[in-house]
Amino acid sequence: MTRFALSSSPDTASGRRRRATIRATDLALLAGVAALVACAGPQSALDPAGRGAERIAELFWWMTAGTVVVWAAVMALAFYVSTRRREPGPRAPGVLIVGGGVVLPVLVLTALLIWGLALLPSLLAGVDAEPTLFVTGRQFWWEVVYRTSDGRVVPLANELRLPVGRPAVLQLDSHDVIHSLWIPALAGKVDMIPGRVTRLTLEPSRTGVFRGLCAEYCGLSHAHMAFVVAVTEEHEFAEWLAHQAEPASAPASPLAARGQELLLAHGCGACHTIRGTLADGDVGPDLTHVGGRLSIAAGTLSSDPRAFQRWIEAPEQVKPGVHMPAFAMLPQADREALAAYLEGLK
Amino acid sequence: MTRRRLKTGALLLALLALGGFLVVAAGLVPIAASSGHWRITAWFLHFAMRRAVATRTLGDELPPRDEPWLVLKGAGHYEGACRPCHGRPEEPLPPVPHAMTPHPPRLGPELATKWEPEELFYVVKHGIKFTGMPGWPSQQRDDEVLAMVAFLLELPDLDAEGYRRLVHGDAAPAFVADPLPELARRHCARCHGLDGCGRESPAFPRLAGQSREYLGAALHAFADGRRHSGIMRPIAAGLSGDQRDELAGYYSDQRGCPPSDERSAAAIARGGQIAERGVPAQRVPACVDCHGPGRPRRNAAMPDLAGQYADYLVLQLELFKARQRGGSAYAHLMTPVASPLDAEQIRDLAAYYASLKPAP
Repeated sequence: MTRFALSSSPDTASGRRRRATIRATDLALLAGVAALVACAGPQSALDPAGRGAERIAELFWWMTAGTVVVWAAVMALAFYVSTRRREPGPRAPGVLIVGGGVVLPVLVLTALLIWGLALLPSLLAGVDAEPTLFVTGRQFWWEVVYRTSDGRVVPLANELRLPVGRPAVLQLDSHDVIHSLWIPALAGKVDMIPGRVTRLTLEPSRTGVFRGLCAEYCGLSHAHMAFVVAVTEEHEFAEWLAHQAEPASAPASPLAARGQELLLAHGCGACHTIRGTLADGDVGPDLTHVGGRLSIAAGTLSSDPRAFQRWIEAPEQVKPGVHMPAFAMLPQADREALAAYLEGLK
Repeated sequence: MTRRRLKTGALLLALLALGGFLVVAAGLVPIAASSGHWRITAWFLHFAMRRAVATRTLGDELPPRDEPWLVLKGAGHYEGACRPCHGRPEEPLPPVPHAMTPHPPRLGPELATKWEPEELFYVVKHGIKFTGMPGWPSQQRDDEVLAMVAFLLELPDLDAEGYRRLVHGDAAPAFVADPLPELARRHCARCHGLDGCGRESPAFPRLAGQSREYLGAALHAFADGRRHSGIMRPIAAGLSGDQRDELAGYYSDQRGCPPSDERSAAAIARGGQIAERGVPAQRVPACVDCHGPGRPRRNAAMPDLAGQYADYLVLQLELFKARQRGGSAYAHLMTPVASPLDAEQIRDLAAYYASLKPAP
């Protein structure tokens, strides 16, 4: 009885309909928001912040517009064919097939190809830029070296900083397998191939912090091989580079001083360099100013003491396949001291 | 007709099995070692063993046993672990194990005439069920088993004096009144020397001048099997924790080993380069940051390699590379270091560290 009463009630029926409508709009809204979220942010090719990315985005929008026009035309034709009464003339199918299936695609695709190829030289070409940047892909981090014309060589890792408004040329190489460097907001991607130097020109058009990543599967932690790109004003960049060229600062607290002692005693310097100390290894990332970086472990952890501790204790958990061994056997207090020292290397 | 016969046969078999079980259940099977085996039982069991060993070593080939010190390594272990059952040259078999069934054989000329070296290797590594012959206490260390085989092949030709020289060296240390050196004399000196210099042979690493922390951690790791060795494990496990620490202290206080063996200057130079700079292209870090020289404030849990025997260092790096060394809580740090090294780089590194003057 109750069931009958409910289903026959007009109010409830319309209520259910309303709920259904709301649910559909909700979904559409969610999908729309999700789609739009991907359009902005530090890692979006559709929110360009550099000349290369702008031209690629422009090409993308033209292609999208073209796609919409073609799609609309095809739909209109389909509608027309299905509703008209008159039989077509004997030549109409031939004209349609040759015109729409051969001539039109050839014209459109040739135009796109010419456009795309014309873009390439300007995206890849080396210009005389200062300083020169060398980026080497390694499983699973980025070795970055700045060379200035006055002879300074500044090695760092997992972070790029660029001045806004002028081009920077990256010379790319790989130490082990093929990687690919991609900063979607700034430019297209370029492969990093062992034994061969490839080039990429970046010309940021606005300041901000962007995310770069490896775009060629390179092993277990490929997905955790990222880096931060900070675009700043020219004078900030110059100050930053001058600071990076300096040796590491002395530990500022007793805890950090103990951390430095432990770092040298446990042989961390066999793999890592901290300029100004006995640590001079060439196997892992340079740590001279690691505490001043915006992220550690190649864009996977923030650079706070807890993150340093986590990394020292269980790098394999953060990055499967990492080559650094875990130091979980050290007492907690020692790991804290190490983290305090590293975090203080601004 | 055939069906009926089959049925009868099956019934008979079942009765036989039941009868056998009843004999066992009634406790009638003789298990007394004192009564020995019937001749035919002994023959059959021996036959089964020989066939099993022969089949399981089909196609096996042992690596070359070129290093002259392999025999020394085997001799030291034989005296501690095998002699109590198998005896030594020119002496009667020890009476207690002689009362076993089967009793452990004296290892005479038939070792070389009746057994292939591969078969000896199999028996020493895996032992023999129901005989009291144990397997090697650490299945990771084929190199130790090989040393044992090298010694066993020499054993039949040894007289009492030759045996004593192999086991104890030319001058075996006499009883010491002081308890600590006496502890070292009883448990360690036969191979490592009372001075910790390892009897001038790469069979036994030098302990003199190593840090107390490293030696203690190594002994504890040997004792509970984290560091793999069928030779060191029984010795370390037979000591109390305090004794291990005392012995570590004793050997860390020893000084003044003579310089180790000479190798080619070119190898030493190449090894020095790797030790100082590592091989970044192969992702090999430098050695000196953890093992010296030139780094005064190192973690004492990591060994000092200056003046260590080259062949011993080669063996350790190969074991690390094969992930069969084990060790203290720091040992895993060596896996990514040793793995990319090739055989020549390992030899060069060992030559370099062997050429350094031992810690004064």
